[in-house]
Amino acid sequence: MTRYIAACLLAVFLAGCNGGTVDRHALKRDAEKVGSLATEGGLLAHDVSSGASTSSFARVHAGELSRAAADLQDALATRPTSPGIEADVRRLAKLAGKVSAALERIHRHPTDRGVAASLRPPLEADARAADRLAK
Amino acid sequence: MKIFQVALGILAAIGGFVDIGDLVFNVSAGATFGYQLLWVVVIGVVGITVYSEMCGRVAAVSGKAVFDAVRERVGFKAGLGALVSSQVVNLMTLTAEIGGVAICLQLLSGLPYRWLIVLAGAALVVVVWVTAFEWIERIFGYGGLCLLVFAVAAVKLHPPWGAVGHGFVPHMHTQSPLLYAYFAVGLLGAAMTPYEVYFYSSGGVEERWGPKDLGLNKVNAIIGYGLGGFLSFALMIVGGALFLGQGVEPEFLGTIALGAEVPLGQIGLLLALVGILFAVSGAAIDTLFSGAYNLAQFLGWEWGRYRHPRGAPRFTVTWLVLLVLALGVVLTGVDPVQLTEYAVIFSAVALPLTYIPILLVANDRTYMREYTNGRIANVLGVLYLVVIMVIALTAIPLMILTNVGQN
Repeated sequence: MTRYIAACLLAVFLAGCNGGTVDRHALKRDAEKVGSLATEGGLLAHDVSSGASTSSFARVHAGELSRAAADLQDALATRPTSPGIEADVRRLAKLAGKVSAALERIHRHPTDRGVAASLRPPLEADARAADRLAK
Repeated sequence: MKIFQVALGILAAIGGFVDIGDLVFNVSAGATFGYQLLWVVVIGVVGITVYSEMCGRVAAVSGKAVFDAVRERVGFKAGLGALVSSQVVNLMTLTAEIGGVAICLQLLSGLPYRWLIVLAGAALVVVVWVTAFEWIERIFGYGGLCLLVFAVAAVKLHPPWGAVGHGFVPHMHTQSPLLYAYFAVGLLGAAMTPYEVYFYSSGGVEERWGPKDLGLNKVNAIIGYGLGGFLSFALMIVGGALFLGQGVEPEFLGTIALGAEVPLGQIGLLLALVGILFAVSGAAIDTLFSGAYNLAQFLGWEWGRYRHPRGAPRFTVTWLVLLVLALGVVLTGVDPVQLTEYAVIFSAVALPLTYIPILLVANDRTYMREYTNGRIANVLGVLYLVVIMVIALTAIPLMILTNVGQN
């Protein structure tokens, strides 16, 4: 019985891993994640630009969002893909890199309202682009 | 009624009910399903109220805290299983709470995370060692009330109140029923986290509650957990009103704080961070003591936070060891938010192991004399036994099938 349960768990785990290949479902999930990070970055940029945030919060939170986007970029740039979606996966990797770079700028200039104001529109555009890839 | 005694309930509510698990699950549930899962919070709040009231009553009448009763009622072997599983979940929760404290301090100060983990550990030792327990109650209980900023944020975000009201009626509009079920189980697990009950009943024994305190026990359970439930509603509404429409998936404590910053600006952000800091710090102290209470009660050691550390040395060593273990795990770089999800799911699995013995003791006249469960307490007690068994059996399969809520 224990072996049976262990085998089932292993099967589910391996099915979830899908051998590390990015399939359509994984592409959709990762695009949603990139979109989420970009949208949140846009909200943060808006608050920084209007003086509604604090420098510590903006620096730390932008840093963790940037790292999350960079991790996604690394994974999407190198992982094998299912046939027919490689271009979209690599496009999403670039987008994640762009989002990460924008967030990194807020991380480095958490009190600069001008920088934050200039980053908000591109982050919102990146969120929309990620949404399109998710669909 | 002595207001300081009521503070025990408030501490259990803020520091125990609203902990990192509630923060993560409520905001994520709102961001994923809007207001659809508000009804689950109601079920969770009533459940923890029923469980706590029973434990408090057992403590007041028999003078036995949870693991005293567990060992006596189910024996050493079965009790040992309950103890080990509870301690593992407790340690996971403690680790997540300490990580949460460090993250909050970092968001407030901008200092390096690892240094703040060490600082958080040292601060907890100092607070527990030198501060009278009444002051710990007041500091963390009332500091945690800053979380009420999320209620203001929820109103300021102008959610569709009709949809919010509809959320209190069980319904499901989703193409991901498994994910919906996972969040329902997670919300119940977060609301009915057992460590807060261990802490609550042990506190009752330490304060030498007797039958005359049964009214106070009922008020503590209802008001304390009711307040916790109110904050959970607010967190879910913020998640639904702010994050759902924009597709934001809250994966950081900072995202939760952003939920107060966007509608309320800097003051909202600071109140949210301070509230989260006090709530997770209070919960860290609760879990720390709960772990030491459980072991000491099960093995028959001297225990108690009102004793001088030298008066209950093994109890003191236990919480110090638990703290060092938790600090060690946080320092490995584990993500406290992800760990929270696992802790909540595993606590749902372990819940029946202590709930069932307490339900049996609460019906046992040899312990409870004329204070056994009445008809309403028994109907609710058995109903929640079914709920708890269902969530215990489905929690891990749902966690695997939804890839820990990632669908």
